[in-house]
Amino acid sequence: MTTLSSIDRLDHAIDFLVAHPQAALPPVEDDISELVEIAGELRYLPRTEFKLRLRAELQEPAPASQAHGAAQPSRLARREDAEPILPTLLGLGGGAYPLQRSSVALSFVLHAAAVVLIASSGFWLTQHRQQLTHQVTTIFSASDYALPVAPGKAGGGGGGGDGDKLAASKGTPPRFAREQLTPPAVVLRNPEPKLPVEATVIGPPQLTFSPQSPTGDPLSALLTPSNGAGSGGGIGSGSGGGVGSGHDAGVGPGWGGGIGGGVYRVGGGVSEPRIIYDPDPEFSEEARKAKYQGVVVLSVIVGPDGRPHDIRVARSLGMGLDEKAIEAVNKWRFVPSMKDGRPVPVEVNIEVHFRLY
Amino acid sequence: MTAIANGIDEQLLVEAAQLDPGRFAELYENNFNRVYAYVAHRVRDRDEAEDVTAEVFHQALANLGKFEWRGVPFVGWLLGIAANVLASRWRHPSEREVPAEAMERAETGVEDGMERRTLLLQLLETLPADQRYVLARRFADQRSVREIAQELGRSEGAVKQLQFRAVQTLRARVRGTHDHPVVH
Repeated sequence: MTTLSSIDRLDHAIDFLVAHPQAALPPVEDDISELVEIAGELRYLPRTEFKLRLRAELQEPAPASQAHGAAQPSRLARREDAEPILPTLLGLGGGAYPLQRSSVALSFVLHAAAVVLIASSGFWLTQHRQQLTHQVTTIFSASDYALPVAPGKAGGGGGGGDGDKLAASKGTPPRFAREQLTPPAVVLRNPEPKLPVEATVIGPPQLTFSPQSPTGDPLSALLTPSNGAGSGGGIGSGSGGGVGSGHDAGVGPGWGGGIGGGVYRVGGGVSEPRIIYDPDPEFSEEARKAKYQGVVVLSVIVGPDGRPHDIRVARSLGMGLDEKAIEAVNKWRFVPSMKDGRPVPVEVNIEVHFRLY
Repeated sequence: MTAIANGIDEQLLVEAAQLDPGRFAELYENNFNRVYAYVAHRVRDRDEAEDVTAEVFHQALANLGKFEWRGVPFVGWLLGIAANVLASRWRHPSEREVPAEAMERAETGVEDGMERRTLLLQLLETLPADQRYVLARRFADQRSVREIAQELGRSEGAVKQLQFRAVQTLRARVRGTHDHPVVH
């Protein structure tokens, strides 16, 4: 009975010690006083996992700062529920963390400035509702939209060459085909290919050139055989496996296939370019004051590089909004149109809506 | 002879750890209880004691190359670091100042009651597993007798008895050690 009583009394004393870790030892009878002293020493026993975790932490590779002697205090044993938020800022846990009062003051000022800025911007917006603009932009095929024919505009075509020092020699392009397996060449770099394939240029197959030999650039005047100074195979000063100074597998200057002929249009195997970056145009000051709104239609060639080229105003709105629309669309970026798995230039019209609310 | 041998062993351990920080673990194991006992007695708060102890060993590891063996036990150097860490952490030195003589005592490893507290931590590891578990959960993890009883699947009375026996055993072993002190 006495033993049980001692057990209970020691347990009560331990309850007190655990609940009041800073307090002095509670008064107890002599028979358990020594035991309570022992228990008092055990009050600050480290948590079971602390020693192991600290050992593991010490065995980890030391960060660079520690390698130079600047040891970092560990927080591995601190319990989240026992830690107040922002202890030093709120005056709690003083001294537990290094604190620079100037940093606290600077932080406070910066945060206060940020709050004022956010609040004032909301106020400004409510006071200038009429200036809030909203632009709706759409992109659609130029083939669906009646546009005036550009006067004297040289169309697409193609070009090529293989980096020769001489310009391309005069001759006739090979026959047109829907697809090109081998670009044409005046000077054959591989005269005996294992699998000969006829050289073609891309364009309507019904187009033909008057018979003339040898193969070459019809616009050239040179007779010395040469593939030209261009790149990507083909003949001429351009690039892309065609003939001429253009940038595709057709013939002549400009983009696309065919002869001298224009860019692709959406449809018929040519996919629509997809906008990936379209910053809104600004409202011109003049139009804003006049509360003028409407739609500007721009004719744009979206190149294989995804950038807009040759931006022209197809339907003007005036009051500086045309320029603002061009300025904005010039910054746009696209996923280019694809034809047969290759990016191709395509002409599209873009509507830029200016509206005041 | 044993003390001299221990000193030589410790010197070798320190030199090995200076060459290979991976060997610091042995120094850590040998000195953890003493450092923790010193710090815990000073701060009287488990969270802070654990933080300071961790910082002491991190600083010791980072500055181990600067340690020079002068015949003073390695723990003296650790306790010196602990005293400095405590002094730098307390904002109001006048309230919880570490007096110069206390610093000196720390560095030489002679601190009132520290041996006893260190011994208790060491003796805890010699208790039977169930008694050690009860004390660890009760004091370190601050669990109630009821919670421990549920964890162990035993009655509260049985847990209280385990707790009582564990403290009794510690008292007996502390007395026994004092009657037959171990030479380090």
